[in-house]
Amino acid sequence: MNHTDYPRFAVVGHPNKGKSSIVASLAMDDAIAISDTPGTTTRKARYPLKVDGETLYELIDTPGFQRARQVLAWLREHETDASRRHEVVREFVNIHKGDARFHDEIELLEPIMEGAGIIYVVDGSKPYGEEYEAEMEILRWTGQPSMALINRIDEEDYTEDWKRALGGYFQMIRTYDPMHATLSQHLKILESMAQLREEWTPQVKASIALFERYHAMMRERSAAAIAKLLYRALSHVERLALKEGEAVEDAKKRIASRYKQHLRSFEVETQKRIEYIWNHQHLKKQQEQMRLEGLDLFSKESASVFGLTRKELLVTGASSGAVTGAGIDLAFAGHTFFAGGIIGAVVGGVGAYMAFNELADIKVLGRKIGRRTLQMGPMQNRNFPYILLGRILFHTTTVAQLSHAVRHSVNFEMDEHFRERWLTDTRRKKLEKYHKQFRQAKRIDENVLAEYEALVLEILDTLLGEG
Amino acid sequence: MQLKRYLDLYALLQQDRSSREERRTFGLSEAVRGKDAAEQLRAWTEAHQTSLPRPLLSEQVESVLYHATLLLGIVAFLLGIVTAAGLLNYSGKEPVNLVYFLAVAVLLPLVTMVLALIAMFRANRARNFLVHISPAYWMTRIIGFFDRKGSMKFNTVPLNPLILNWVIIRRSQLLALLFAIGMLLTLLGVVATRDIAFAWSTTLQIDAAQFHAFIEALAFPWRGWLPSAVPSLALVEQSHYFRLGGKLSETMVSHAAMLGAWWKFLAMATFVYAVLLRFGMYMLAGWGLSRAIRRSMPAIDGADVLLRDMNEPLITTHPDEKNLSSNTLQESLYTRTDAKLMPSYDAVVGWAIPEETLVSLCDAFSVTASECREAGGNRTLEEDSHTLETLRGTVLLFVKAWEPPTMDFADFLEAVSKRVSKVIVVPVGTPKEGYAADARHKAVWERKLALLDYPNVWMLR
Repeated sequence: MNHTDYPRFAVVGHPNKGKSSIVASLAMDDAIAISDTPGTTTRKARYPLKVDGETLYELIDTPGFQRARQVLAWLREHETDASRRHEVVREFVNIHKGDARFHDEIELLEPIMEGAGIIYVVDGSKPYGEEYEAEMEILRWTGQPSMALINRIDEEDYTEDWKRALGGYFQMIRTYDPMHATLSQHLKILESMAQLREEWTPQVKASIALFERYHAMMRERSAAAIAKLLYRALSHVERLALKEGEAVEDAKKRIASRYKQHLRSFEVETQKRIEYIWNHQHLKKQQEQMRLEGLDLFSKESASVFGLTRKELLVTGASSGAVTGAGIDLAFAGHTFFAGGIIGAVVGGVGAYMAFNELADIKVLGRKIGRRTLQMGPMQNRNFPYILLGRILFHTTTVAQLSHAVRHSVNFEMDEHFRERWLTDTRRKKLEKYHKQFRQAKRIDENVLAEYEALVLEILDTLLGEG
Repeated sequence: MQLKRYLDLYALLQQDRSSREERRTFGLSEAVRGKDAAEQLRAWTEAHQTSLPRPLLSEQVESVLYHATLLLGIVAFLLGIVTAAGLLNYSGKEPVNLVYFLAVAVLLPLVTMVLALIAMFRANRARNFLVHISPAYWMTRIIGFFDRKGSMKFNTVPLNPLILNWVIIRRSQLLALLFAIGMLLTLLGVVATRDIAFAWSTTLQIDAAQFHAFIEALAFPWRGWLPSAVPSLALVEQSHYFRLGGKLSETMVSHAAMLGAWWKFLAMATFVYAVLLRFGMYMLAGWGLSRAIRRSMPAIDGADVLLRDMNEPLITTHPDEKNLSSNTLQESLYTRTDAKLMPSYDAVVGWAIPEETLVSLCDAFSVTASECREAGGNRTLEEDSHTLETLRGTVLLFVKAWEPPTMDFADFLEAVSKRVSKVIVVPVGTPKEGYAADARHKAVWERKLALLDYPNVWMLR
């Protein structure tokens, strides 16, 4: 590989100061090994940002300094001229390549001596110590462009102390919290990296535009997956052949259970797809089966957190019924004295109110020809689409905002005000128009699904602060 | 676009394990660049068809459809023959009423073609009455009934209503076409082998001139270039037949040879209205089916993701090969631990802890020592060596709990442990924490000491 084609940045520092977390966050890779055990990273690992196979820049995760004072002592011993210090470092690397004592130092110095920029990571939540001086001095000797990133791992704040200490060694100092970094914070760090060396600016700037596009693509893909989930779940029809001598009531229970199970599996499949889209395949959850903290899709709690209230449901049903009725009025050029709209509103509203807890009708088919089959679906409950949509939007926003540096179990804690953040009256009316079509289990035109997808994307953008 | 492509794509997406890289590479190839979604999917299907298990799902489904259509087609053809033979049945006592024949050869096709056109406009609907009354629809139902065990794969076919409707419409046109061909061939056969006298008869108050005008209108497509197939007014007048009386008029009998001249008109009417127009409908249905398949291909489950993967730039930030750099350290529990400190020690050393802080630490932990030394930090290795030389007996070694042990520390600890009888490592917290070390940080030190396993090194829990 030609090492001069694109900018490279070696992420270096003391052991256990969050280098891998920074790389995981900047590379959006949740597979990078991160641990609170020092020495987890034993070899340098390269994380190139590639677009269609072409590398724009590369991040290099490195092990931490282990014997910095010994390396510095060696360098000082071999120093002849201050202007040739980087050559002394190169000599050190060449001489000690196979030396197990300096394995980690060689791993981290090698890419720097090949031209990589330095991103030096420190923990701003812990006090500055003199033991850092040796490694900062070594990095200064390399002569490469450098930036210090203050990563606050814990609550305490020693950022100002660190800034004073780092100021003498690095071109620029930035703070970055890989566990909670937003896209704009991520891009700001890239902006800083672009300034490290003039030749690197165009490629790193291009990667900033690319990351913005990448984020937009992930939102669009999520919206497509969510739209498909809603259509699939609402139009799903479950069929079950009655067993020999089986009572219809027993079979009804069986089909209801299967119907629910299928809908749950659609939700889980989509959740996994969303996690894949946002590069969170390794996400650990507190509740793998139920997800969303054990809140089952069909539970009352789920309905109360994500669903509509009876009043909202009444309004939604009434307005939807009124639209249908108004169509009749229009057909009769208003000669119905708008009775269609009024009747439609009343029927729709009462229907929605009464069917608050009902999911779907169960019909017995083929009673006359002897081969009896039960059919359940499509979904008739007007509240269900909002529950399902609310849950998947909640899951998506949580996953989308989750740092790739997180390695502990993620608890999808419920936010009771989540619904208020996205479900406005206008949106509910727009959504209901599509939900009504989905509930009819007819083939939906691709354009209709695309319109619904656009609506979901708009909601998602609002929730993710992009709208 | 063929049904085969649709079914092959469905089967491919069902089993597809291709990576995003493979999909994007294909998306950038000349085969698909700049083409519409359906064409891209078609190209993908063609390129990956070899990975499908044999026999192909599309071959199985098309074979079932072909055999069912063949069977129904033969039935329709025979029905056309039987119908025409019945309509042309001539006993010699009465002429053949050509109005019957025209009703079946012209009116019936026109009516069914109008219904077919309506069905085409409504093809998007799942419940399409006009489709459901077609024999081809019942053909699919019958196949489905006999395929309950799924051996013919017909019930598992994921055809959406749009495609299914067009499949039925197209096959209905084919059956009607075969029926018409059967009628036309029978007409020609009967005319060639028998002497038939055609006449027209109706209860309606229609005179010969009106009927002639109607005939002229029907013959519009061919009257310009085949005038012999357009009956004259004289022929129409002479072939007007009234049942009343039960016998032929004398004029009619005297012009019996002329009455047979109707056959050309009937043959052309059958050919144009029942065969040619139907063939046009068949072609139109073929176009509609192809369009429906093109529209439906991107709606197959997984096709939207495939299209996105092919057309959106592939942005990766992962290494090409997952590096196995993680060093899994064993969760060892360090056994050489002290629960509390003694009031005095031979020496107290602070690793990267300045001497003034060390004094505060000794106060905080209520320990005294004859020697209080700093090591590590920004001190040189020589200075550490001097410190080492002063150490003896039991040494208390304070370390910053939040700074994980480096190999620099391990080297120093090894050297100390070789010089003295006992070393007690005490991880301490920050002054803000009141020097109390965080359990997480302590655990890190504990694991490291367990790994180093120096026999006379102890740790304060």
